[in-house]
Amino acid sequence: MATVGFQALHKRYGDTHVLKGIEAQVEDGEYVVLVGPSGCGKSTLLRCVAGLEEISEGQLTIGDRVVNSLAPAERDVAMVFQSYALYPHMTVAENMGFALRVAGRPREEIQARVAEVARMLELEPLLERLPAQMSGGQRQRVAMGRAIVRQPAVFLFDEPLSNLDASLRTHMRVELKRLHQRLGATILHVTHDQVEALTLADRILVLNQGIVQQFGSPRELYDTPANTFVATFIGSPSMNMLRGLPGEEAIVGVRPHDVVLGSGEISATVDVVESLGAEALVHLQLTDGTPMVAQVPEPASVKPGDAVNLAFAKVHRFDPSTERRL
Amino acid sequence: MRGVGALLFAWLLPAAAQAEELTVWHAYSGAEEDALQEAARTWSEANGVTVRPVFTPFGAFDSKIETAVPRGNGPDVFIAAHGNLGNWRQMGIVEEVEVDLAAHCEVCGEAVSADGKSWGYPLAYKSLLLLYDPGVVDRPPETTDELIAQAHALTGGDRYGLAFQIAEPYYYVPWLHAFGGSILDDDVSSPAHAQALAFAYRLGVGEGIMPAQPTGELVGQLYEDGNAAFVISGPWFIPDRKRAIAAAPLPVVSETGQPAKPYLTVEAAFVADQAKEPEHARAFAAWLAGPEGAEIRQRVGKQAVSAVEVTSDDPLLAVMREQAERSVLYPTDPAAGSATEAQARALRRVLRGAATPEGAAAEAQAYREVFQRPPPPSVSPTPYLATMVLVLLGGLAWAVAPLREEALRKQIWEERFSYLWVAPAAVALLAVVVAPFVTGAAVSLFAHQGGEWSFVGMRHFLDILLARDWPVSSPMSFFYTLAVTVLWTVTNVLAHVGLGVALALVLREPWIRMRPLFRAALILPWAIPNYITALIFKGLFHVQYGAVNALLGALVGGTVHIDWFGSFALAFCANLTTNTWLGFPFMMVVALGALQSIPRDLEEAAMVDGAGWWFRFRHVVWPLLAPALLPAVLLGSVWTFNMFNVVYLVSGGEPDGSTEILISEAYRWAFDRENRYGYAAAYAVLIFGVLLIWSRSANRLAGKRVL
Amino acid sequence: MKRAPSTPIVVLVHVGLVVFTVVALLPVMWVLSMALTPSQAFASGGLPIPTNPSLANFTDVVTTVDEDGTWLFVRQLFNSLIVSASTSLVGLALATTAAYALSRWEMPGKDRAMSAFLITQMFPGVVMAVPLYLLLDEVGLLDTLTGLVLVYATTTVPFSVWTLKGYFDTVPRDLEEAAMLDGANRWQTFAWVILPLARPALAVTGLFSFMSAWNEFILAATLLGDSRSYTLPVVLQRYVSDQGTEWGHFAAGAVIVSIPVVLLFFALQRHFVEGLTAGAVKG
Repeated sequence: MATVGFQALHKRYGDTHVLKGIEAQVEDGEYVVLVGPSGCGKSTLLRCVAGLEEISEGQLTIGDRVVNSLAPAERDVAMVFQSYALYPHMTVAENMGFALRVAGRPREEIQARVAEVARMLELEPLLERLPAQMSGGQRQRVAMGRAIVRQPAVFLFDEPLSNLDASLRTHMRVELKRLHQRLGATILHVTHDQVEALTLADRILVLNQGIVQQFGSPRELYDTPANTFVATFIGSPSMNMLRGLPGEEAIVGVRPHDVVLGSGEISATVDVVESLGAEALVHLQLTDGTPMVAQVPEPASVKPGDAVNLAFAKVHRFDPSTERRL
Repeated sequence: MRGVGALLFAWLLPAAAQAEELTVWHAYSGAEEDALQEAARTWSEANGVTVRPVFTPFGAFDSKIETAVPRGNGPDVFIAAHGNLGNWRQMGIVEEVEVDLAAHCEVCGEAVSADGKSWGYPLAYKSLLLLYDPGVVDRPPETTDELIAQAHALTGGDRYGLAFQIAEPYYYVPWLHAFGGSILDDDVSSPAHAQALAFAYRLGVGEGIMPAQPTGELVGQLYEDGNAAFVISGPWFIPDRKRAIAAAPLPVVSETGQPAKPYLTVEAAFVADQAKEPEHARAFAAWLAGPEGAEIRQRVGKQAVSAVEVTSDDPLLAVMREQAERSVLYPTDPAAGSATEAQARALRRVLRGAATPEGAAAEAQAYREVFQRPPPPSVSPTPYLATMVLVLLGGLAWAVAPLREEALRKQIWEERFSYLWVAPAAVALLAVVVAPFVTGAAVSLFAHQGGEWSFVGMRHFLDILLARDWPVSSPMSFFYTLAVTVLWTVTNVLAHVGLGVALALVLREPWIRMRPLFRAALILPWAIPNYITALIFKGLFHVQYGAVNALLGALVGGTVHIDWFGSFALAFCANLTTNTWLGFPFMMVVALGALQSIPRDLEEAAMVDGAGWWFRFRHVVWPLLAPALLPAVLLGSVWTFNMFNVVYLVSGGEPDGSTEILISEAYRWAFDRENRYGYAAAYAVLIFGVLLIWSRSANRLAGKRVL
Repeated sequence: MKRAPSTPIVVLVHVGLVVFTVVALLPVMWVLSMALTPSQAFASGGLPIPTNPSLANFTDVVTTVDEDGTWLFVRQLFNSLIVSASTSLVGLALATTAAYALSRWEMPGKDRAMSAFLITQMFPGVVMAVPLYLLLDEVGLLDTLTGLVLVYATTTVPFSVWTLKGYFDTVPRDLEEAAMLDGANRWQTFAWVILPLARPALAVTGLFSFMSAWNEFILAATLLGDSRSYTLPVVLQRYVSDQGTEWGHFAAGAVIVSIPVVLLFFALQRHFVEGLTAGAVKG
């Protein structure tokens, strides 16, 4: 188990500047999720930790070691790839034991450790199968198992759930959480799915355009987003951003469930009503044409074309030029 | 495992040389080989020195002797016909020996003598004879008129009065000699030559007593089946015949009253230069040629031995002796090779009816003059060396220039271990492919004629590229051959791709029954060595007995007599068919693979849109398929461009060298026309240049680097 | 298409396919028929049916013995097998490492290297036999199967590199990264992860190398000096001379020479499509 520290970390590919001075400290045993839109640099950051990408500038520490120039194998990290990267010609047992075999561990030890992890992940009946003979969820578990067998200081997950269907993803999310509780390991997990981030993470690191937007607990990010980017990125449906409200200089952010229909001085027209079962999303248009969404309990009292008045239960205010929280 | 490894290792390394062993190279087979082995055993036992006869394939014999002996890797003794003695003396390959010429027949002694010295121990002689079926021929003819008359009487249906390989110069010269001409005449357009050509036409075609285009195998088969009464061939024709056979000397040509005089070849045992055991070598060779050796060779090998002391009552040997009296010694002049090629062209044109005897003789003279032109004057190599050094330095500078960039140097240094992975392959290719090619290419700056090398600089290239020796339209010119080669490559690649893609499109359909079976069967042509295929196809295209004409005949319900090697178009088609047969499976497999990667929903979408199959192929499948096929097509075009075996073995350039491609033409210059290695090497360099330009422009056409 | 076209078209396509296959197999039938006919003549006539079929030609070819009673055919068969198998192995060893490096690592000059490999395919062989002879003589490998294997193996390298690189390009990089994280070095990654995955391409290129060595005779005849070290194709030339060809023996020899390659072809067939075209398809 170890901490991971980023100090003014930069990554450049020729003229493209991908990571622009990442500063962060991941604590021992912490589950950190890296989120951001595609191309934000989150996978690159993870690969820098793994040692698959070279660091252009700055420092990366794992535990108390600076690992910038260490080979991947020497960093004591294990990675689960988006594609799982299982060796197609090896059985599950061989896949899981590969790292130990490379390290020259005795066969008995390899077998024992593989068996132990297989028990933990309920992979025992699959040990002699080839990857091609398994379902997506099973492969995912094998990929996890392969990482766990190595007992690394840090686990790196690169979009591990994105190739699974929705129900399996929900199930595996719980599994991951359980696993973390059980192993108490330091985990860096990359995803573009903010639900995954909110449910799994001890802390979330939001990246955009190679810059850390905010690094904090899910609650912090949700309740006090540091800027408009985090505010809109975290939470679903996303926060309404209203500019130029009467008597307001700042950008006003309102989460849809903070919109109260019926009273208040802002008037709007109902455009579309989407029912989600217990709740409904009401798409509105303000008088100046700005669209916004309200989340109300079902049955909704409004229908398309109705004119309504709105009030906001809670607002977030952002500086219009820097887009920072005020 | 270690034991197996050691065994393998031992196998792959040279056998340890055994002491006191005498190596004898020969190209004998059958009874003659048995005789040699028995003689070797007898002598070994008597002298305590082991003689080891080593069979060397006939086709490789001369070139092996000429490369191995000067390097000290040759045998102690080699047995060969005397025809190449002139060359070998020039190259210093044979040792002078002392032979008691009186013990051998006169011509035999003459064959191994030059400059008043002897160069080999004569063993036996061979020449053409008139062979006949004693079952149908009572008395062999004395004159050609008699021969023709008897042959007419014996011709009918599938049967022919006479069969021999009339289109081969060796079988033609007996008549030429009877008309007073010789292959080596300075003027081969003389009336004697024209008359001899006219006579050959009469015999082969005009009288209707001979089958069309008889090859050696065909003659043998006709005789075996009782379909040829007279055959002109040598003693090698006789062994293992199931039908009775008798021999007589060749008849007197009625027109001139002169006997037809075949070439006489004398086989002799030569002592090689740098023999490891020269004393034993001489002793064995002398003994083999002497009475004891001759007796074994005559008894076991049925050879007509040169030793006069050894007599026999075998009637065949008597005929051979008689024929030897009426023969011309096979020329040892190195120039005979190209002179023969000129004559062969004339002969084939006459037989094909493509030229009059006079016209053909005049053409032969023209060819001969070019072939025999003295080598270009040698020039000083200094300016070339200087230019070469400059070019090398320039090239080096150009190659090293990018290294001035610091970033590049750094990258190279970082990847230094990656280069190690490529190094073994690169080093091997440099040593085994590039270095020999560069050495070979350097030869193009030299002329090799009559055993002499001289530095001629770019002269060969100038001669070839400026078409100095032949007009551009002549099949002998570089540009004509280049055009044929390009046509050859393009048509082949089109045929390979067309057939391959068509078959792949059919074979991927799930509704085809027994797909694996078809696929396996259609891949088969690829698995068979191409020289075997080529030889088989040549036989299949025979004008009279080939299966192709027979099948075509069955289709149209009659006899088909297409002379597949009589015109450029047909001969080209024959080559093309052979090579297409060889080449389509590769394209089929590549196309099958490429098709797998094209999602079928695209086609299904087009189908839903109402597109017919051609439209789907043309606008959906082909645009996706073509880029995937491109690398294979380019590689295939390079292979086809240099597809020597098919052209050389199927059409052999017929008619008149018009279907020759660059690589086979280069081969002819190197090996069939007095070893003009320099000229051949210049062809090779030009071939490389053409291919290089082609691959560069193909890359440009494809818009990316494919090759 | 999932659905077959109308019945007449299906029948027509099948008939066409059968006719084409029969025509394509005719020459093979001719070889077989000549090999089984106990005469040395080239078969004539329309159909490849052997007359008086017997195995005499095969017996003749197989039972050739040299002056010491060494069973030459078996010896030469072994030579051919050893030379061809070694050629495949050495050729693959040279080509796989090069192809892998060229497929994966960004070393300067790699495009030029790929071109250079393929340019060597354009050298006409005519001028190379004699320099090769001199080269092998110089290093003492003349007259040895080792020398022959080295020459064969090297000449197969360009095609093998071309095919293998195409295949390696399609192997996902994730696998190597996973192996790297698992602690494998470059060599271990290559040998334990990549090579086993490249089996189809290895099978195809190995087969081609085997075949080119198995069928070659010009270099073999030039570089080997002893009938006991000859390979089978050289021996086949025994039946082809300027006095005509012993077709029966030649055809029987041709059948014998072809059989191992044909068997290998069928055994490895399922790898063909994949092994040969993976790279090309990716384009």
